[in-house]
Amino acid sequence: MALPLRYSLGNLLARRTRTALTLGVVAVVVLATTLLLALVSSLRRTLISTGSPDNLIVLRKGATNDGSSALPLDAYQALRYFEGIARGADGEPLVSPELVVQPFFRTRDGGRENVLVRGVEPVALAVHDSVRIVEGRMFNPSSGEVIVGDGVAGRYEGAAVGEQIRFGRGTWQVVGRFASGGDSLESEVWVDVRELARDAKRPLPYSGLRVRAAPGADLDALARRIGDEPRWALEAERETAYYAEQSKSADALYLIVIGLAVLSGIGAICGATNTLYASVQARTAEIGTLRALGFSRGAILSAFLIESLLMASAGFAIGGLFAWGLAAAISSSLGGVGFAAATFTTSVIDLHVGFLDLCWAALLSLVIGLVGGWFPALRAARLRPMEALRRA
Amino acid sequence: MSWGSLLWRNLARNKLRSALTGGAIALAIALVCFLATMPDGMNRLLEQFASGTRVVVHNEAGLVYPLPYAYLQKVRAMRGVVAATSWTWFGGVFVDEEGVSFPNFAIEPDQVGVVFEDYGIAPEALAEFRSRRDAALVGRATLRRYGWKPGDLVTLKGTVFPVDLRFRIVGEIPSERAPHFWFQREYLEQAVAASGGRLDFLGTIWVRVDDPARVDPLLREIDETFHNSEAQTSTETEKSYFKNFFGMLEGLVMLIMIVTALVAVCIVFIAANTASMTVRERMREIAILKSIGFSRRLVFGMLVGEATLLATLAGAVGAFASLGLSQLVRAAAGGWNPAMGPLASFIVTNTILVEGLFLAFFIGMLSGVVPSLGAARRGVVQTLREVF
Repeated sequence: MALPLRYSLGNLLARRTRTALTLGVVAVVVLATTLLLALVSSLRRTLISTGSPDNLIVLRKGATNDGSSALPLDAYQALRYFEGIARGADGEPLVSPELVVQPFFRTRDGGRENVLVRGVEPVALAVHDSVRIVEGRMFNPSSGEVIVGDGVAGRYEGAAVGEQIRFGRGTWQVVGRFASGGDSLESEVWVDVRELARDAKRPLPYSGLRVRAAPGADLDALARRIGDEPRWALEAERETAYYAEQSKSADALYLIVIGLAVLSGIGAICGATNTLYASVQARTAEIGTLRALGFSRGAILSAFLIESLLMASAGFAIGGLFAWGLAAAISSSLGGVGFAAATFTTSVIDLHVGFLDLCWAALLSLVIGLVGGWFPALRAARLRPMEALRRA
Repeated sequence: MSWGSLLWRNLARNKLRSALTGGAIALAIALVCFLATMPDGMNRLLEQFASGTRVVVHNEAGLVYPLPYAYLQKVRAMRGVVAATSWTWFGGVFVDEEGVSFPNFAIEPDQVGVVFEDYGIAPEALAEFRSRRDAALVGRATLRRYGWKPGDLVTLKGTVFPVDLRFRIVGEIPSERAPHFWFQREYLEQAVAASGGRLDFLGTIWVRVDDPARVDPLLREIDETFHNSEAQTSTETEKSYFKNFFGMLEGLVMLIMIVTALVAVCIVFIAANTASMTVRERMREIAILKSIGFSRRLVFGMLVGEATLLATLAGAVGAFASLGLSQLVRAAAGGWNPAMGPLASFIVTNTILVEGLFLAFFIGMLSGVVPSLGAARRGVVQTLREVF
């Protein structure tokens, strides 16, 4: 016969300080781990989700990102009519010539950050299909107008729609704000490509191209054809692969988070084990009595395991809740967490505890509960009834 | 039996519990020490490695906006300027897959030794750097990462300029925190000219000022000089430059500090839990000790001493382990990281070790106080009656 759940619960409540302290350990470990997991997953969401699976990015051979690339006008003109490129509603090829510059922006609290400014033509909105104008309108070419990403609007001085923003050599009118499903394009500012080239005094107007493949076209074959073209030393790559590569700079952080979760998890296991051993020791007589009454070893084992699991899940609930609140507080107080992309520009990360982060934290507390409870529970189950009663 | 051995015996009484508590505290201290290296790396960069008499001139619009090369001569001619050298980003790639894995710059070799006097570059290395066209000076961290040594030949593929350059490493920049790879500007100029281009700009100018009092006037003078020209400058001290450059990491630093504090709180819970369990189980013997004449103060001291000893020992193990942990992470992910800057230096300094040890000591003491106070105060008669 199994012991009722109330028995395990009652045991936890009987030693309140001890239970509270152990629960505190689990909760704090869950809190710390969840916060860092949220950071990593928010980073991943922002950096890796960027890029459309139908798009190619074309850069100069050897360039590792569009900030360090440049390509001639005639390459753009010729590439537009390559086979396998999608056409827009107006029949024009969906090839977006772009120039990337990283000027200083002033943050609202007086700091200074590099922000990625992308010079584009109107076709960019059709090629980057995730981008949507959510406030205001698209800029008019050659009129000193810009549109800003969601992450930019709240973080920098003069970056809200209707305001004027200073960067590069001039002052620009913000006429629109765009969203892009939370990816890193939202940390960018878009402006007319020719105007940007003039402002940055770039001799070559474009740093790279974004190409949308026609439905059903073979992207890799198209990329190969562009790369093999002998007139210009170009290199084409899937946009998704390009952004995955860019996010590698966060690898050190992933490593730290995993290490931290494992090590602090082991610490919490030690704490839980300690508490339950003490509780087994204090209840030797009681366990002996239960055994003498006919409760099986299995019943005792599971009662103690349940006790440990109850403690761990309460810790998880408290820690997870705090992590969720803290992440929201940090994100709103700082206007997003800044992270440096490989191009030395700022990616604004919206720190947010996701469902998957909570699942990992739940797994961690489950392991803490199971492993921390196992050895004390085993000791309790192995007590011989006669000895236990005599010792007491 | 001395007090020391009494404490030790008491700890050894429940070996499993002491080991579990000690292990948990050691782990937590190791984590705290390791996490502390990240904000510490930033602080050190700003407080110690940024020189008070070194200033940097860059384009007001941004670091990727170049300055005309003629600016260097104009700055060098200004009053109070002891030496100046320009840096131009080459963006050279050593291993294709890694991208730009250390910052490499074209610089003028003649005055770099004076501008970066505090880096302690050997005079022979500087002399050879000046005399060889293809010479390169490389930071210690980068040398170690690729197993290079002076005399080695290294080819970097240019990403900003369409040229590949082969260098001979002539010396080390002997600082753990300097990942730089410096080479002669003239070498790059010739290569760019050979490929049909022209290198007539520079990235930043680093200036050594003769007198700290002259720094502020010079900052203004430089910016005023170039105010109405084709490229306006922004001149600032090295400290302010780094602060701005890594300003975007502020949120990350804050998050790491929160997590570090949380782990420290965890240690308090673990230690307090053990102390309270220990005291509860020893009610009887504490009452007996008191009834045969041991003072409250002694009993209290003994119990607190036990908690403190355990935490401090565990803290020492943990602090020591953090050295190994940081080395492991450095090997796996260290080196120059454009995304994390000085946060990714992962160097456990002596200060961090001592702080970790003190943290363990204080937490041990703190966690022992409450339960021990209760035990010391409890009436003897009452306890003995309850227990027997």
